[in-house]
Amino acid sequence: MNEGFSIAFELLAVGMITVFTILALIVVFGNLLTTLVNKYIPETVVAKKVVQATTRGVIDPRKMAAIVSAVDIVTEGKAKVTSITKAE
Amino acid sequence: MTAFGNLFHSPETVIMIIIGVFLLYLGIGKGYEPLLLVPIGFGVILANSLGGEMGVVPSTDEIMHMSLLEVAKNYGIMNLLYYSLIKTGLLPPIIFMGVGALTDFGPMLRNLKLAFFGAAAQIGIFTVLLAAIAVGFTTKEAASLGIIGGADGPTAIYTTIKLAPHLLGPIAIAAYSYMALVPVIIPFVVRLTTNKKELKINMKEMDKLYPNKRPIKNLRAMKILFPMMMGGIVAVFVPSAVPLVGMLLFGNLVKEIGNPTERLYKAASGGILNTATIFLGLTVGATMTAEAFLNFKTIMIIVGGFVAFCFSVAGGIYAVKIFNLFSNKKINPLVGATGLSAVPMASRVANEIALKHDPSNHLLQYAMASNISGVIGSAVAAGVLISFLS
Repeated sequence: MNEGFSIAFELLAVGMITVFTILALIVVFGNLLTTLVNKYIPETVVAKKVVQATTRGVIDPRKMAAIVSAVDIVTEGKAKVTSITKAE
Repeated sequence: MTAFGNLFHSPETVIMIIIGVFLLYLGIGKGYEPLLLVPIGFGVILANSLGGEMGVVPSTDEIMHMSLLEVAKNYGIMNLLYYSLIKTGLLPPIIFMGVGALTDFGPMLRNLKLAFFGAAAQIGIFTVLLAAIAVGFTTKEAASLGIIGGADGPTAIYTTIKLAPHLLGPIAIAAYSYMALVPVIIPFVVRLTTNKKELKINMKEMDKLYPNKRPIKNLRAMKILFPMMMGGIVAVFVPSAVPLVGMLLFGNLVKEIGNPTERLYKAASGGILNTATIFLGLTVGATMTAEAFLNFKTIMIIVGGFVAFCFSVAGGIYAVKIFNLFSNKKINPLVGATGLSAVPMASRVANEIALKHDPSNHLLQYAMASNISGVIGSAVAAGVLISFLS
């Protein structure tokens, strides 16, 4: 039993430290990756198209369908989408 | 010819069939995790249909040295499925691939710092491991019980296959049942650990006051590169978590690439995932024979699993509270509550609670960030347990 407890305490320490370390590394390298991507491959053509579409006030029918079906599922058919505007 | 005689000699199987029907009721009638509880419930009924040879037999040296053909011939097709798909640990990584294909890392990328709460919410795994040893479980059994606190079905199953395969049935049932009960468990723990002022913290207002210093300019490129980077980190530090995390990231990668790999994405998130889910559910259910299930350990697993879940939710919440002590940019504790896996139900529940306290406080995206990191966190925790104990 005592041996089991010592392994369990060791696991508690090692496990939590490992999980925090891995996620900390993911945060650090993720930020680094963001910096590199922003610097070397900042924008795509697709993103520009989206901006154009929204500035004209026209919403992509596929996005409209996705939003309507998502609202329908979440509210179990109780709510209805009447208009969609981009939040500031 | 009929099973009446067998039923007379083994009346306890009737209890198991009732349990199987109850699981079917939860899946069909209540809509609790129907994709898993329906196959598991039906598997329980099949396994306890006396004379049907559909129950999974415990692994012995004799079975482990048989060819699959001999297993099928001597013990029936359910054992063939179990020993080829489950005992080898094949299905959980396959399911993780499908989960990866259905996961969007976007919310996590936009709020990377929130990933820490996905780490904090793994505390339930390790604290319940300690408690389980205190009540008489072996270390491997305790680790399998504790992993329920990760709130991730495939991870719990994968860890149990590796460490305590004889407990697979009850642990899978507990894991999926509590995942289905997330809409009950999270509000319960939130009520015990937070106050109204904390629940009113508006994440979007905080973002306006303290905007992100590093906005992403090319999200698509980030979504493709990020899983590869994450896979590299996990492979170096916790190689035993690679079967789960690696497949999760592969599934996500084929999704994010888009048109060139659309067929792979559809296969991973559709046919393959559904097929794997059917066989996983049926075979896990078939491990629940009366001898394997009706004992004291099963009750302890059900209780321990609940405690592990609650501790994990509380761990995430208290991590947020500690963070808020030192930061000007406050975070709603509900974001921490979603640090356990159970994607996306935990986030939806957290969002609903937030909206009750402030109708303008839509924190779904923030909750998803810690929720997705919780999936990675629980897989890493499983990797640590497996590498230490197997």
